[in-house]
Amino acid sequence: MSQVEHDDAGPPAASTAPGAQRPKRPRPSPFLVGGFAGLLAMTIATGADWEFGIGFSLIEVWDGFTRSNSPMRGLAEIDLGSLLGSRARDGFLETVQMAVISTIAGALVALPLALFNSKLGAPNRVAYALVKLFNNIIRSIPDLLWALLFVAAVGIGALPGILALFFFSIGVVTKLTSDTIDGIDHGPVEAARASGASHLQVLRVAVVPQVLPAYTSFSMYCFELNLRASAVLGFVGAGGIGAVIDFYRGQGQWDRVWGVVVGFLIVVIVVERISMALRRRLL
Amino acid sequence: MTGTQAPTAAEKRFEQAVRPEKPFNWFRLIVTAGVVGGFLIGALSVDANWPRLTEMPGELWNMAVLMFGELDLADVPDAAESMWESVAIAWLGTMIAAVLSFPLAFLAAQNISGRVSVGVTRQLLNVPRAIPEIIFAVALIPIFGLGPLAGTIAIGLSSTGTIGKLSAEIIEGSQRGPIEAADASGATTLQRIRWAVLPQVMPEIIAFWLYRFEINIRASAVLGVVGAGGIGTMLQQNIEFREWGTAGMALIVVVLVTIVIDTVSGMIRRRIIRGPKTKTSSARDTRTDAMF
Repeated sequence: MSQVEHDDAGPPAASTAPGAQRPKRPRPSPFLVGGFAGLLAMTIATGADWEFGIGFSLIEVWDGFTRSNSPMRGLAEIDLGSLLGSRARDGFLETVQMAVISTIAGALVALPLALFNSKLGAPNRVAYALVKLFNNIIRSIPDLLWALLFVAAVGIGALPGILALFFFSIGVVTKLTSDTIDGIDHGPVEAARASGASHLQVLRVAVVPQVLPAYTSFSMYCFELNLRASAVLGFVGAGGIGAVIDFYRGQGQWDRVWGVVVGFLIVVIVVERISMALRRRLL
Repeated sequence: MTGTQAPTAAEKRFEQAVRPEKPFNWFRLIVTAGVVGGFLIGALSVDANWPRLTEMPGELWNMAVLMFGELDLADVPDAAESMWESVAIAWLGTMIAAVLSFPLAFLAAQNISGRVSVGVTRQLLNVPRAIPEIIFAVALIPIFGLGPLAGTIAIGLSSTGTIGKLSAEIIEGSQRGPIEAADASGATTLQRIRWAVLPQVMPEIIAFWLYRFEINIRASAVLGVVGAGGIGTMLQQNIEFREWGTAGMALIVVVLVTIVIDTVSGMIRRRIIRGPKTKTSSARDTRTDAMF
């Protein structure tokens, strides 16, 4: 632990005023006590080796990591050459294609949905409630589960991956953008209404221009998320670089698995840096 | 304006007035071209079975009908038990991440540690943040075998990055005053952390642990897809073998339990950050509210 040394730190004050008494420490609040009891109970209930626990043991964890095992041997002799092979190249290309298509399509659908998902932009209460319900359901299903469903619906390959990321993007961009719409300046909206604009015209000239930078930024953020998510969709047969990782794993070639994972990390971090720089300029 | 009367000066001026031309927006053109072009290039070059897209709405509808038309209450105990395993994985994983990330967060905070320590720890925390849980899980399964232990450790390792980074940011956001006071009365680094920093940051850090627990439930619900325990196995197998009724019940249990835990945990988080109801909330509280 690197610590900043303080030369000026003198000795603790030795003398206190005679008769001065330290005030009594207040008792911990019932919420604090209850919270810690709950935390402890939950940890024991989930971790203990009984009917409703998973039997977590640190000894087992220690044994596992210190025992010789193929994933960790593969990590030691990592094969970055696997990145240059055509399999990895096609996988990365597919991942980027999937992320681009699904983000653009998802973000386009998300803009009108986001307008309807806010009290200001919805034409009436029924549309508001329906869109809100639709969005909540979409968001409560994880991306991998979407992929599972679409693999069952349209077969394996890049298509179910694109569809899964498409729905995932709709959920993310709609939620973030509609939160922004709730917080916009009402001045332009009132001005547009006062000059006789219809509801659509109000949205077009007073609402959309205000949220456009944030919306663009969220769409780019969503692209990052999709790129990351596409690494796991392949495990259920939905294409992308995940399929390559799953292939090498099935063969037990852990050195190549880690090579591809490192390549993936680099792609994600580079895209994240570029996207963050662009997003900072937007906002 | 009538044709018979001569137009007044004001009306003449109005007729002559021209709307200013809209300036041509190059930026907009480039962005539009980029988005449309990117989409088209992607859609045409990707090796996807596009014709099957037309079957998608019908298939989805069929699946929904099968899933929610054949619901059997006899599946509820199984689904609940698997979901509890997912919750257990998420909870223990979050606890592991909390324990691991806590010291790392102080090493990565600029107002506590030196430049080298901050740089190294930040990079260390970045790696697990970029790798999805599932990849950790598939790498841990050969070590710990199929089952919840691999999932728990996968969740723990991958959350360490996020929790560590956010905790470090919370620590950096703490007020200077108490730290200076502790320094002035001769505190060592550890004493400074214990008496000046911890009381300021603990509520926010614990609230973030809880928030991460909510996210981890979603993650652990799908970890079973690769065999790392929890309800994911049930979902994956029943969808694969087209046991739609059971899969539908599992899906409903996942969504319901997620929503219930989100609500309860959200209430606790707000109570932790705002304090008891009788207190009036300060400016600092509203800042942390916006964070969640």
